Amino acid sequence: MKKVLALLLAVMLVIPVLAACGKKADTSENTNVTDNNDKDNNQDNQNQDQNKKKVTLSFVHWRGEDKDAFDEIISRFNEKYPHIDVEQTIYTSEQYVSTAHTLLQDGEAGDVFTSFPGAQFQTIRKGDLFDDITNQSFVSKFNEALITAGLEDGVQYAVPFQMVYNQPVYNKKAFEKAGVDFEGAMKDWDSWLDACQKLKDAGYVPIAFPGGDIGPGQFMNSMMMNLEPDEGIWARVLSGEAKITEDWWVKTLAHFNELNSKGYFNTSANSLKHQDGINMIASEEAAMLATGSYAISGILAKNPDLELGIISPNPASEGEKVWDGIHNATFLLGINKKSNHKEEAAMFIDFLTEKEIASYYANTTGQQLTLKDVEYTSKELMEIGEVWGPRKTRTQPRFFITDQDVQNAVLGSIQDVISGTEPQKAADNAQKLIDEILSR
Amino acid sequence: MNKKIIRNIVLCLYALAILLPLSIIFFATFKDGTELFQNIAGLPRNFSLDNYYKIFVEEKFVVYFLNSIQTTLTSVFLTLFFGSLAAYFIIRCNKILGIIIFALFAAGMMIPPQVNMIPLYNLISSFGLKNKLTGLIIANIASTLPVAVFILTGFMRSIHKELFGASKVDGANEWKIYSRVVMPLSLPSLSATGIFLFVMHWNDLLYPLLFITKRAKKTVPLALLDFQGQYVIDYQMLFTGVAIASIPMVLMYLFFQRYFIAGMSAGAVKG
Amino acid sequence: MRASKKIGFFIIPALLIYGVFYVYPTVLSLFYSITDWDGVSPAFNFVGLKNFINLFTNDTIFIKSLTNNVKFTLSASILQFLFSLGLALLLIKNTKSNVFFRALYFFPTILASVSVGFIWTFLYAPNIGPIDQLLKSLGLEWMIQDWLGDKSIAIYSIAVVKAWFHVGQMIVIFVAGLQAIPKQFYEVAKIEGASALQTFRRVTWPMIAPAATIVVAYTTIQTFKAFDLIYTMTRGGPNYSTEIIATNIYNVAFRSNKFGYAAAQSIIFLVIIGAITFLQFKLVDRYETN
Repeated sequence: MKKVLALLLAVMLVIPVLAACGKKADTSENTNVTDNNDKDNNQDNQNQDQNKKKVTLSFVHWRGEDKDAFDEIISRFNEKYPHIDVEQTIYTSEQYVSTAHTLLQDGEAGDVFTSFPGAQFQTIRKGDLFDDITNQSFVSKFNEALITAGLEDGVQYAVPFQMVYNQPVYNKKAFEKAGVDFEGAMKDWDSWLDACQKLKDAGYVPIAFPGGDIGPGQFMNSMMMNLEPDEGIWARVLSGEAKITEDWWVKTLAHFNELNSKGYFNTSANSLKHQDGINMIASEEAAMLATGSYAISGILAKNPDLELGIISPNPASEGEKVWDGIHNATFLLGINKKSNHKEEAAMFIDFLTEKEIASYYANTTGQQLTLKDVEYTSKELMEIGEVWGPRKTRTQPRFFITDQDVQNAVLGSIQDVISGTEPQKAADNAQKLIDEILSR
Repeated sequence: MNKKIIRNIVLCLYALAILLPLSIIFFATFKDGTELFQNIAGLPRNFSLDNYYKIFVEEKFVVYFLNSIQTTLTSVFLTLFFGSLAAYFIIRCNKILGIIIFALFAAGMMIPPQVNMIPLYNLISSFGLKNKLTGLIIANIASTLPVAVFILTGFMRSIHKELFGASKVDGANEWKIYSRVVMPLSLPSLSATGIFLFVMHWNDLLYPLLFITKRAKKTVPLALLDFQGQYVIDYQMLFTGVAIASIPMVLMYLFFQRYFIAGMSAGAVKG
Repeated sequence: MRASKKIGFFIIPALLIYGVFYVYPTVLSLFYSITDWDGVSPAFNFVGLKNFINLFTNDTIFIKSLTNNVKFTLSASILQFLFSLGLALLLIKNTKSNVFFRALYFFPTILASVSVGFIWTFLYAPNIGPIDQLLKSLGLEWMIQDWLGDKSIAIYSIAVVKAWFHVGQMIVIFVAGLQAIPKQFYEVAKIEGASALQTFRRVTWPMIAPAATIVVAYTTIQTFKAFDLIYTMTRGGPNYSTEIIATNIYNVAFRSNKFGYAAAQSIIFLVIIGAITFLQFKLVDRYETN
């Protein structure tokens, strides 16, 4: 017994030293390996760039689905600029909201980083972590009207890269099978319920609703868009002039309740994660997924045979219909003000926005982009452009809830309703939280 | 007779409650995405090592592993070393000072890490120790010294006072008494405390979450958490990460089971 | 006296690290708790006790975190207590099979909370999750719940995980307590013709009370600090129904950027944990002196 103990202690004493040595050897080896690779791949470039110091950029974002596409883009970037390596770090979008501004602070992470418009953009801007990119040449490659989410007081802090529709994705064949007409379903609230019933009768879960993570934040947009068509509504809630106990939000919650209690959502809607929602629609268990167009690539990766489109309920009557759907310019590319490699970071963004690279990204990941010059060849992308381009879409309302705590309270009221709370009561509770937040 | 059968049934049922979840997770690491959902609880159709390959080669999991090993072992060793020195001081210095120092450390056991994490975060930043394993190690030591001092002092108090006197007469200085007499006698409590600390440091999430943002410096639990973002739809990859992260613990547990159980319980009783 | 001087060096490293990196930040927390510092900008104002007043009079979420903590602690403690005591009673003797079962039950304790969180999130997953699948195949569909999504049961679902995680550790403590009971006590009880229940109440229970105190106190403190498990499983959701103080402090500090306010929360947290720890020492002390 004593021997074993002595051995254990000896191991504990020796290993840290060994590990420390091993670690050093390991890292130096690693850099060697990458060096060699670069030399093999780009001997010509290497000669030119020999004098330049090797730089590793950190690129942080939340699109786990796009990891492979970015890997490819990074390797092409590396071919062009052998002295710059890019390391991507990916968070879940939920975690990203709570950690991004902290992890950017010391300038070591996120030389190039992405952010969500609205609350997160504001937090990072207030923390003075955006480098001013107004005069960067790549800004002119963007469609001016679509990058205002990164603009504040005439300064461009970041540029939204993706143009997404935050409204349900639907399986066309399932609609056909259930005899649901695309345009008809979007007519008014009753026609939406009718469509759901038909899908349910045909054996589908009408809507996969990932209430466990991003579902409430995404679907609330379509669900409220015509009940309160004024885009200034959330600013008024934040200033205390409007309350979410008013009719428009209570009715939105009542609609959520209706969908859930009639079995038009999957069971256990509050704990479904987006990944599981993707699985549900990919396996044709569900006919719709209530998140957004950005989910399409993930779904097709699981089941390439599906034909998908995007759709949005009209929560009001036909006469009250102001908006057809929801769009949002997001994935705001920015440069960390505290970064030591701002020049290289700008080169990377510039590279991302080149026509060929951007088109590759758009088509492999199924994302519409905010750039002027992109060639969409993917079937889904072209079709979404055709069907939704001409329609009147509203900028994602949630984007205007610029206080993270207020946003949590609003989304919480949806989860409350799914858990069985009366809509009016859920709205009351959430408004109480908002009052507290505003009065503190 | 009947009693015995019921007893065995109860024991086996609970064993199943432990084993079933673990085996589902373990088998999942050999399945691909589609098989996982068609065949959740069953044995994998063919034991494919693809996931492991992917994690080790593409994810460079070895790096996280080495980070964790280095951080944990250094933290454990230094905590034990500094802790035992402090414990020795407490039992050897004058009584009132001993009580004061002991109370100071014991009070630390009441402070949950969430209480001081915010200033600690700033402190580590301002020392330039963010994204450095050294920063993590220092935070680990600081936060677990109270438990270590508490357990070790308790043990050293039980060593007969005459021993010190006898050594003194033999002309040994304090360092010699500490290293030649007290440490060997304290081996059982040192190993128990060491294991308790090992499990705590290896599994800790909060400090890495706060201090480490660079991939090359991530520890295993933090890397696991990040897998959530990376493998949004691949449970099997997540579980392969879980399996790999658990290997050192499982091995240590198999070899040093008795000390493990003793150490963890001592930690619970004392800490 | 000379010895004391020389020995002074022994305390320096521990005191230095502990002082600078644990005590000092704790004192700073106390300081920040009376400011409105956002953790990012260089300037902040002193607000006196405003943070504390807001916490108790104007912050439903904080009060909710407190009550959630109590719910979580009570349910996890009860589960952990009953399971560990019950199983320990079956595993008192050091037979080969008993040692095996104890080691097996202990196993989850060595896993990382992050790992346990992942494992159980998957087990609880709706529809595809093994628990729902199992219930379906047993024809028990009506038992299926939205385990982590229903705000009225999510916190208890996590309490079950907590118990699964640490019952084995508590068994060991109980077994140690049970083994310390002299055999004669049981023989006497047998001679007097006491039933199993009577024996438990008259002999076993009084003798293992110290162990029981340790188990309850340890679970209480652990559940108050259970940051990792909740952070990995639900991040406090849905709608704050699994938010406990530890996760709330983290969220307020790092998601809402209210460092000063979070510091005030952490001071209250400190007082609570301090009180529980103090109580634990008192109780264990009382049993030991008896």
